[in-house]
Amino acid sequence: MTDRVAGLAFVLLAAGYVWLSAGYTASFGDPLGPAIFPRVVGIPAVVLGLALVIWPGHNARWAGRDGMIRQAAAVAILIGYALLLEPLGFVPTSFAVLLGLSLLMQAPPVPAVLTAAVAAPALYLLFDRVMGLPLPLLGTAFG
Amino acid sequence: MDTLSSLMAGFSVAILPLNLALIFGGCFLGTLIGALPGIGPVNGVAILIPLTFALGLNPTSAMILLSAIYYGCMYGGRITAILMNIPGDEPALMTTLDGYPMAVKGQAADALAISGMASFVGATLATIGLTLFAPMLAKAAIHFGPADYFALYVMAFATIGGIAGADPRKTLLAALLGLMLATVGLDPATGVARYTFGSFNLYDGFDPIVALVGLFAISEILFFLEEKLTGGPKVPKGNLLPRWRSLTIGMGASLRGSVVGFVAGILPGAGASLGAVLSYGLEKRLSDKKGTFGKGDPRGVAAPEAGNNAASGGALIPMLTLGVPGSGTTAVMLAMLISLNVQPGPLLFERNPDLVWGLVASLYLANLVLLVLNLPLIGLFTRMLAMPVWALMPLVVVISFLGVYAITHAVFDLLIMVGFGILGYVLRKLDFSLIPVVLGLLLGMDMENNLRRALSISGGDFMVLFESRIALVIYGVTLAFLSLSLWLSRRTPALLADSDVSED
Repeated sequence: MTDRVAGLAFVLLAAGYVWLSAGYTASFGDPLGPAIFPRVVGIPAVVLGLALVIWPGHNARWAGRDGMIRQAAAVAILIGYALLLEPLGFVPTSFAVLLGLSLLMQAPPVPAVLTAAVAAPALYLLFDRVMGLPLPLLGTAFG
Repeated sequence: MDTLSSLMAGFSVAILPLNLALIFGGCFLGTLIGALPGIGPVNGVAILIPLTFALGLNPTSAMILLSAIYYGCMYGGRITAILMNIPGDEPALMTTLDGYPMAVKGQAADALAISGMASFVGATLATIGLTLFAPMLAKAAIHFGPADYFALYVMAFATIGGIAGADPRKTLLAALLGLMLATVGLDPATGVARYTFGSFNLYDGFDPIVALVGLFAISEILFFLEEKLTGGPKVPKGNLLPRWRSLTIGMGASLRGSVVGFVAGILPGAGASLGAVLSYGLEKRLSDKKGTFGKGDPRGVAAPEAGNNAASGGALIPMLTLGVPGSGTTAVMLAMLISLNVQPGPLLFERNPDLVWGLVASLYLANLVLLVLNLPLIGLFTRMLAMPVWALMPLVVVISFLGVYAITHAVFDLLIMVGFGILGYVLRKLDFSLIPVVLGLLLGMDMENNLRRALSISGGDFMVLFESRIALVIYGVTLAFLSLSLWLSRRTPALLADSDVSED
């Protein structure tokens, strides 16, 4: 039951959250202090999480094996996009991301390449030139 | 007529060429976003927030653009609901019940016309309601003390699940998770760094806009990757121009639905889905004498459409007057206003009349524009639905990235956004609603500050929270609402059981 796992995760998260709040102290006379509000939030979360462990209700169906591989690949693409945006620049990375994601979504290859090849520079022109949002055209690696 | 002259001043703001252009563009984009399955109003508005920063819009124009998109989404959600039985967003779920059967019977054009008209009636009545009641509530809200605001936040969290959320424990847990995320960063009162784990990047906490775009836009693509895609959706061909006669059918249902939806929208947290569900339920009760509801009754199309559009207008009231959003999308708008250094609340009406009344006036104009877009030009939108998902979703991702990068210029924030995307996906798979998370993240700091102020007044005595009469009334309304939703969820469990669509 995924609800049990989710409940347990919430219990652990909230318990750790409340436990860490003990370290937050202020020496001067604030009536609440930095630790009380986290406890007001965290303690009910522990209780509700426990309730979910004891009385689970819902069971999630996760993606199949192929779906999981596609999702993992997409996450890898997104993280790569974030890390490479500045070194490689907006247009090359966006082209790769548009192409990669659309292929993951089972796009026909030729239209996917064409769409990415048109969209990446078009977005750059639209946002950087027309709207004046500074984006790196080519990154520091080429400069 | 104080209100009338303020409204006239508002119209003079709304008809500035820039704002008129934003109304047109926003209505068009909104209808399109609402119609595309998978991108609801919350996602749509969240993705476009960076755009408003990019365009360098002032707060008034930015709000006008986002509200036009919001209203447009509410109109657009019904198109796929009727033609393909896929609700474009959660409130449109109720429209599928009678709308799709009508389309199957060959009355798609009529169903679209009736629902378009109902949307117009609902949204216009709600805008009139907004004009009348918002100033009154703003005046009353000046008397709200910190304890009362604390009660309001509690109400928002208690009611946000509405009856759409399956499990109230999960709604609350999601809200608490949002509140936990909100405490990350420097405590504003004492300067203590909380839950930053030594990372200076986290000292400012999580930017709600970065979190929002991640939660909604990035998680969406993970959903699309789950299944093998089977071609584009099939759009029925044929003439979609309505007969004029069909516009007047269901007018009574629209009027009743508008009132119900408007009230549901005003409740902080409750939102548009609730408006649609309640108005459909009421109309079925009143009019379903021959058992035609669910089989293509025009009144079953009119009532929920009027209800959800009226609710979206109503939801703006608590957002503008109290700073407590009445729906997911208004929560996103609140995030943007705060980022633009505009603090919604009772004083907004005095300090920023241009924004408030300019916005209200543009809502009237937006409704007219939407009526034109959605009746004679409906064919334009149905043709655009043929755009393949593989072209659309990657574009949404790239626009999200460049929007967030444009605001913060920090790679760290892009990674946070991806992290929130994964979190959003997992939460939605586990049947947790994302709206309470957003609300918690947005309101967490204010909630803590109000609690802090209330306790400073009382010298640390927690009983101060229950001493004010206003607070007690708010707790009473909250309790009444919770019992109502409990009662309703027992009556209509099957209707909303496995709705796996994006939220309002």
